[in-house]
Amino acid sequence: MANIAAQRIKREFKEVIKSEEVAKCAIKVELVNDNYTELKGEIAGPPETPYEGGTFVLEIKVPETYPFNPPKVRFITKIWHPNISSVTGAICLDILKDQWAAAMTLRTVLLSLQALLAAAEPDDPQDAVVAKQFKENQDMFRQTARHWTFVYAGGPHKNSDFELKIRRLTDMGIEDHQARVALSSYNWDLERATEQLFS
Amino acid sequence: MAAANEPGSSKSSNGEEKEKDETMLECNICLDAARDAVVSMCGHLFCWPCLHQWLETRPNRQVCPVCKAAISKEKVVPLYGRGSTKQEDPRNKVPPRPPGQRSEPENNSGFPGFGFGDGGFHMSFGIGAFPFGFFTSTFNFGEPRPSAAPRGTPQFEEEQFLSKVFLWVAVLFICWLLMA
Ligand SMILES: [Zn+2]
Ligand SMILES: [Zn+2]
Repeated sequence: MANIAAQRIKREFKEVIKSEEVAKCAIKVELVNDNYTELKGEIAGPPETPYEGGTFVLEIKVPETYPFNPPKVRFITKIWHPNISSVTGAICLDILKDQWAAAMTLRTVLLSLQALLAAAEPDDPQDAVVAKQFKENQDMFRQTARHWTFVYAGGPHKNSDFELKIRRLTDMGIEDHQARVALSSYNWDLERATEQLFS
Repeated sequence: MAAANEPGSSKSSNGEEKEKDETMLECNICLDAARDAVVSMCGHLFCWPCLHQWLETRPNRQVCPVCKAAISKEKVVPLYGRGSTKQEDPRNKVPPRPPGQRSEPENNSGFPGFGFGDGGFHMSFGIGAFPFGFFTSTFNFGEPRPSAAPRGTPQFEEEQFLSKVFLWVAVLFICWLLMA
């Protein structure tokens, strides 16, 4: 059965490379090893979202039973999104679970993930903290997501106010990412973030 | 998204169109030329082994791998191209069906009361429908009632004897009718 999996990935690989989305630099796939069991995906942050201008790298693991079971996909690039864990990069998306169909391909998976970035589903969250912020303070969510895109995905929008607050925490010996997570989780309230970090 | 792609495809060159025609005969699961091709009711083409494995992977969610319409093993149409030597239903051969999953429809003979009939025990039928048959069928547990016992066996002699008895009974009956 591993035969089918490898053969199909080979074909799909060619399909993605020829696709017009690659021509537009919207998605990309690279081989990680020679036996087609692991790939590296890349999607561009969709326009008019906080992810615009960022490039998000994905780990794609192809199971032996592919395409009868979905590929295992996770974000390597850190991202602030209700349906993606800010800690592990795990994704909550139905087609990667029970709604998978054998005719789906790497291309459709990457395009679906891109669509997920453009349309979050906070009622079916992977990251409860992000989802809560998304629902209660949409503007704060957008600023935070844009900041994460700038720091981790090469996005264009620098936020000096946020960076100043992070500096305050790193000066106290807190690690950079840990400080960002704490501040993001408390709507960039420096006092509450400090409290949480030192409690 | 699909709609947005439409205008571009009409402009494609001849070579690309040829390629498109070929892809129409590809299995939607392995993306290879379909072998033992079958088509679902929603019109999607698969190799039978591929579709079979898909249905086995998710026994509780039997949907088309392309459009997610409901499908089942029984409702796919096998495709036979010209010149294929054996026109056998691919569903019957490639992956052996798991035993015990499919029960044969019951052969209901219209005698719901005579439930022993299928088990090889013919006595009840013999009593109900043809009283004289009772004598022979009692000796035939476990096999369908033969039309006649082999010559030379005790059973054969008994049958011969019985038929003579019935002949005499019939003759006596007719005589009695004539005399009455
Ligand atoms: Zn196939
Ligand atoms: Zn279909």
